[in-house]
Amino acid sequence: MNIKTNNNEKRDLALQGLYHVDDPEIGLNIVDLGLVYELDFDETDRQLGCLMTLTTQFCPMGDAITSDTFNSLSSSFPDWEVKVQLTFEPPWHFGMISPEGREFLGR
Amino acid sequence: MLAPSIGGLQKTTNYRVVLPFYIYASLGFLLGTILLWFGTEAVEAHHFHPKTLAITHTMALAWGSMMIFGASHQLLPVLVEGKLASDVLAYLTFGFTAVGIPILVYGFYILDMGLPMQIGAVLINIGGACFLANVLGSSFGSDRRNVHAWFVITATLWLLGTTFFGLLLVLNFRTPILPSNSLDYLSIHAHMGIVGWFVLMVIGVGSRLIPMFLISKYTDERALWWIFALLNLALISFMVLHLCGVPHEFFHIPIILGLSAIVLFARHCYRAYRVRIRKGVDRQMKTSLISVAQMLLPFVALIVSLVFLPQGEFPRIALIYGFCIFFGWITAIILGMTFKTMPFIVWNKVYRNKAHKGRTPAPKDLFNEGVYRIMLYCYLGGFITFVLGMVLPNRLVLKAAALALLLAAVLYVYNVAVTATHKSKQE
Repeated sequence: MNIKTNNNEKRDLALQGLYHVDDPEIGLNIVDLGLVYELDFDETDRQLGCLMTLTTQFCPMGDAITSDTFNSLSSSFPDWEVKVQLTFEPPWHFGMISPEGREFLGR
Repeated sequence: MLAPSIGGLQKTTNYRVVLPFYIYASLGFLLGTILLWFGTEAVEAHHFHPKTLAITHTMALAWGSMMIFGASHQLLPVLVEGKLASDVLAYLTFGFTAVGIPILVYGFYILDMGLPMQIGAVLINIGGACFLANVLGSSFGSDRRNVHAWFVITATLWLLGTTFFGLLLVLNFRTPILPSNSLDYLSIHAHMGIVGWFVLMVIGVGSRLIPMFLISKYTDERALWWIFALLNLALISFMVLHLCGVPHEFFHIPIILGLSAIVLFARHCYRAYRVRIRKGVDRQMKTSLISVAQMLLPFVALIVSLVFLPQGEFPRIALIYGFCIFFGWITAIILGMTFKTMPFIVWNKVYRNKAHKGRTPAPKDLFNEGVYRIMLYCYLGGFITFVLGMVLPNRLVLKAAALALLLAAVLYVYNVAVTATHKSKQE
């Protein structure tokens, strides 16, 4: 995951929230699943951009996962403008799951 | 409050469009098993028996087709990589078919080829045409049409072909409009529906959904195109051979073509299963995978009838063949897929705006897993025992098996009701 900030406190706060955003079908959080590609903190305009993907482009829970991500970041950074953008380039694959995530999935 | 800024998301189908089909289909399954329980003696008669026809059309239309209509309205955006063309057409599909099916089934039950059956058949055709318009509008509204979309488009064309041919057969009973008696065309009508509609649709949708729900990245579009070609060739060659009145030996050609397609699809599912990301497989997916194996059973019945049995035994084998299709793989895949897709639809309806605002249950928590397990045992026990009862044949075994299937249907309806009426506890 690419996190564009030098502020470790903000980085940890964002991740702390995102670790509680689960893919409801898999039951694993989106950080360990490798769904979050980038967090971009724009200190000047107080904008936080989140570039993320889904396990499949037509994931039936896509709406819920992206809303959950938006709500998580918005509650962690109430004074910031949060933008969640989906991308399917590169497409998500098994190699993106963290070692902790693989252990959770029994792999 | 500002609207969330979320970009790049695929639009999903409104739950109001989908849920009525699921609820109707569950009641269709219940009706089918009730008719089976009251009509087990029909097993000993020819397949053109009022009760057998009523059961078959209940299972094919009220159960199988209504469930497929519901699921495909939900899944069309996934399959055609676009969005559903029209909610209104979906409501019209439901309205016409929901009214037409009971009228048609009643017509079969009392074997009245007059108004009830004709009105029912016309309404079902109008409903099918609305569905076709929606499928075509959705598919051609998107820039890309993958193999799954072609499965759905072709299956829907076969559906309309089946229902229109069915209407002609009904009219032909009263006024001769076809060269032969309607009974001579029954197997063509049946196979247009079974292979053209059900098998093509189930494989088109299943080849996308099974890997998706197994969290498997496996895909083999070339193999799917082969399956598509083999199934269509099998069906067309069967129809041509039947109409030309060739000797029975020639019917091995469509059987081999169809069997090859099913084996290829089973291989597709197995490979997706092998490279799945999540090791554990839930019961609903196991049920769906069992149904893939069940697809082979009708072929066993067919091969036995062609190779080993004298012509006089054919009607009984035809009934076993039909039972293995409608109460076998079609029912099994629906039992499994209902509780994979319906909880998602309800979950999205109830929780999509409540996400991250307190603990939310997972979609799998929206139905009763214990009841699902018992339903599955009743269904599998009932299915195997019923086939045994048909082979023997034994009335007591058939009644006991039909009761087990009826119990499975009651438990299924219960779980559908639990899921459909789920409400958030956060309120």
